[in-house]
Amino acid sequence: MNTATQNRGILSALYEGRISYIRFWAYIGMMLGATGLALWGGNGYNEDNYLFMLVSMQGLIWLGTGGLLAAGAAIVASMVKPGVLRNTAAAVMVPWFDGGVLMVALMAALTVFEPAASAVSYLDQSNLFAGKVIMTMNVLLLFSSICYIAYLFAPESFIGKMATLTAWLGVYAGGSALLLRWYESYLLLDGEIGHAPVSNIYEVFILLFCITTVIYLQWERRYDAKAMGAFVMVLVAAGVFFGVWLDSVGQGEIKPLVPALKSYWMKIHVPLNFVGYGAFAVACGAGMAWLFRARLEVNGSSALLRVFPTLDQLDQLAYKSVAVGFPAFTLATILGAAWAAEAWGGYWSWDPKETWALIVWLVYGAYLHVRVSHGWHGRTLAWWTVIAFLVTVFCFLGVNMYLSGLHSYGRLA
Amino acid sequence: MHTFKDHFKTFLLRLGSMTLAIVILTVLALASVIGTVLLQNQSQADYLQQFGPIWYWVFRSLGLFDMYHTWWFLSLLGLLMASLGVCLWRQIPRILKDMRSRKVTLSESAMKHMKHIQHWQADQLDSTAFIEHVKWQLNGWSFREDSYADTHYVRADKGRYNKLAYILVHAAILIILIGGWLGVQYGFRGDMAVPEGSKESEISYLKGTSTEYMKMPFEVQCNSFDIDFYPNGMPKEFRSNLTIIDQGKEVLTSDIIVNEPLYYKGVRIYQASFGDGGSNIHLKLFRMDGTSDVAEAQARVYTKYKDEKSGATLEITDFRPHNVENMAEADQPKDFKDLGASVDMIFRASGVKPVKVRSFIDPFVLEEQNRGSFFQISLSGDTKEFQPFALGLDFSNEKEWLLFVAFVKHLAATEMKSPEDSKMAFKAALDEVFPDGKPDNFKDMAVRVMQAVQTIPRLPWPFLPVLDDYDQKYYTGLQVASDPGMNVVWIGSALLVIGLYIMFYVSHRKVWLVIKQHEKGYSISLAGMSNRNPLNFDREFHDILSNLDQYTRTFGKGDAS
Repeated sequence: MNTATQNRGILSALYEGRISYIRFWAYIGMMLGATGLALWGGNGYNEDNYLFMLVSMQGLIWLGTGGLLAAGAAIVASMVKPGVLRNTAAAVMVPWFDGGVLMVALMAALTVFEPAASAVSYLDQSNLFAGKVIMTMNVLLLFSSICYIAYLFAPESFIGKMATLTAWLGVYAGGSALLLRWYESYLLLDGEIGHAPVSNIYEVFILLFCITTVIYLQWERRYDAKAMGAFVMVLVAAGVFFGVWLDSVGQGEIKPLVPALKSYWMKIHVPLNFVGYGAFAVACGAGMAWLFRARLEVNGSSALLRVFPTLDQLDQLAYKSVAVGFPAFTLATILGAAWAAEAWGGYWSWDPKETWALIVWLVYGAYLHVRVSHGWHGRTLAWWTVIAFLVTVFCFLGVNMYLSGLHSYGRLA
Repeated sequence: MHTFKDHFKTFLLRLGSMTLAIVILTVLALASVIGTVLLQNQSQADYLQQFGPIWYWVFRSLGLFDMYHTWWFLSLLGLLMASLGVCLWRQIPRILKDMRSRKVTLSESAMKHMKHIQHWQADQLDSTAFIEHVKWQLNGWSFREDSYADTHYVRADKGRYNKLAYILVHAAILIILIGGWLGVQYGFRGDMAVPEGSKESEISYLKGTSTEYMKMPFEVQCNSFDIDFYPNGMPKEFRSNLTIIDQGKEVLTSDIIVNEPLYYKGVRIYQASFGDGGSNIHLKLFRMDGTSDVAEAQARVYTKYKDEKSGATLEITDFRPHNVENMAEADQPKDFKDLGASVDMIFRASGVKPVKVRSFIDPFVLEEQNRGSFFQISLSGDTKEFQPFALGLDFSNEKEWLLFVAFVKHLAATEMKSPEDSKMAFKAALDEVFPDGKPDNFKDMAVRVMQAVQTIPRLPWPFLPVLDDYDQKYYTGLQVASDPGMNVVWIGSALLVIGLYIMFYVSHRKVWLVIKQHEKGYSISLAGMSNRNPLNFDREFHDILSNLDQYTRTFGKGDAS
């Protein structure tokens, strides 16, 4: 056995069996520790101070205790009842948690490139490093989408690998850039405006690219659906251009939070919503791929057909994406209602954003009904995912551009 | 009567049909779109102006200005509830029956229809140990076994409660709608404005096109209202200190901010807005009749001040302690600056068109140079159409006004022909106003006075009203709401999320193992089906199959040889 295979053995062992199971519960324990810190550490939850509490000794104690206790419990459980190791949740979730940790580490490394404190100015934020990382993400994602398109016509494994690799790098660049923005928000104006990077349309767009790409990459890895990448990543690429435009008109600046957004709900409600939007984008990509393949089959050009997943698989993938997006979107809307009950005097105000969220929910709910109960498949549903995504785009972009309401802080200037 | 029963049955069938549900949902969705495009709950005058009399009347009679509370929209929601209820009533027994039936045996014909099926042979097999192995392999599944003659059947189920999800999700939506209905029926939501230091117990809310009032069972007293600002001038926090007074007794004092409401006796009190609560305004009226007379005026915001001498009135409409404005050019980096306190008033005088004036307490300072006091004047009375008007003089220094008046007087005495004349006039004015010697900044003053000669006479007013001092008082705008259906909605929401999770992530998988003994050994069949997620089940079935296959190879052949 040479070193390479041995290393590989160690690496894959981290994601298998008992070690993966214990790590899974250690992560869960740490999260519970973080929640406990928020609720009972210090004087309870304090928006401005929580991040600093997390990285202090106090945070280390809470997270460490949570992680160790949960890991210990997992060890005991796996000894007493080895059957628990057959549960797939741990194997599925641990890579995600690891990815998150890697992203945080990447962000920490990138802070080295930040300008000196004296050079940081609220009025001119162009020297902050996150902007450059975001530009890197833009380039990577655009390159990736070009590779995916090229892969359709020249299905060589090298091009395919480049496409996947740059998509992953783009995700990590985007994710760490967002985290870096969070850090940077504390550098400005004496740390008084620190807030999570999900407060304006520019930031959530970056989040959307990352989530869409990640969901697609999961389908690619699990179901070998590389040809679908061209369709999903084209949507992402279109978004990238929009993001660049937003930045060019000054929407990319870090601004203080308006009082209505100063709540821990923002960190929960907004990202969860974008899991929904991202999944719907992937469903749209699958739908477009279905329609494209159907057209190819009519024309009978077989060269392209060889790389495509079958119509049945694409149909399944669109459904799977909706199956990810719909519960996430439902939960996000409910949590949004919970936030509204705390901030606006009622859980539902028929605000345009709320109403459009309801419309999006109804459109995808109807999709699920005709598919599951009425057994519809194929062309109609492919079109349905595409049109439903247009409705979704109107919900998260159009409402902010054309309609006014309580969600107007997401407004375009 | 038989026919009536039949009709009723058909009616229920129709009511619970998915076609009707989809029609209702589509109509609701389309109506909702109208409600988002047409701004809700605006002033009737705005609507009339926007749509003209005919469309205004049409929209108004359809209730489109408060659409989500019209009888027809609520009826649609009610119809949806009825449809859901009937649908559940009919489906629940069916689903439960389906869940309970777990047939162990698998006929030959049924096997042929299975998508996942494999047959293989084993020479020797300890079937008890084999079944134990299967059970260990399928940890967490529930099993049923049965034997008929030489055939042994094992059925394993996983995620049998998946079908419950349908009930759960639809019941959850019904519960949410019931919670919403409870809120509409027994809850309320209105606004209350409480000036600092005052008490209030009445809320107002819009019902259709009219405003209604409602008495709360307690009083809310606003002790103070504060705004915190970020270093760049944007508001950071609105904070009210409130005391609840119940039957004359102070029962509770607490701070509220946006996102942190106060809860008392089932009523939530939210920080919603703020405004001027009747600040006391001190004005100086600089008379433009050639005398150096300066009158003092005092009035509260929202009241009128009448100047007896000229007959002019000032209606004080608003006061702002800060005016943060971006001073940079359009394409330059933003440069926020606080211009200081201002008061808005409507100026009415005989022979002059009424105008809205915003008067600032401080002079305008740019690049550390005092450019004199200024107004913002709106001829239309709309605050969006304010135009800056530089007065030239710094009115915060009364001596400067005296200097100006004296200068104008001396200038009039000269022939006003050469710059020398105005120089002389200014010198005379200086001597008159400052008999003890020139002030240090007299050169700046000279610039401003020369400027003022050009601008001030352009105003056709009997006097210039300039903000001199103030005693500020805010009102805090509270939203007061009670919703007895809210917890019902949360319960429904929780059920909805749990139901969706089960629906999408737990699939009902069934696996049959059929072991048939014959002379040569055993023939084994493995069949499986899943009600969703076929891609995953393909893999799972394959895993089970290869594992069992390997088991029988190892133990079957080992014994045979």
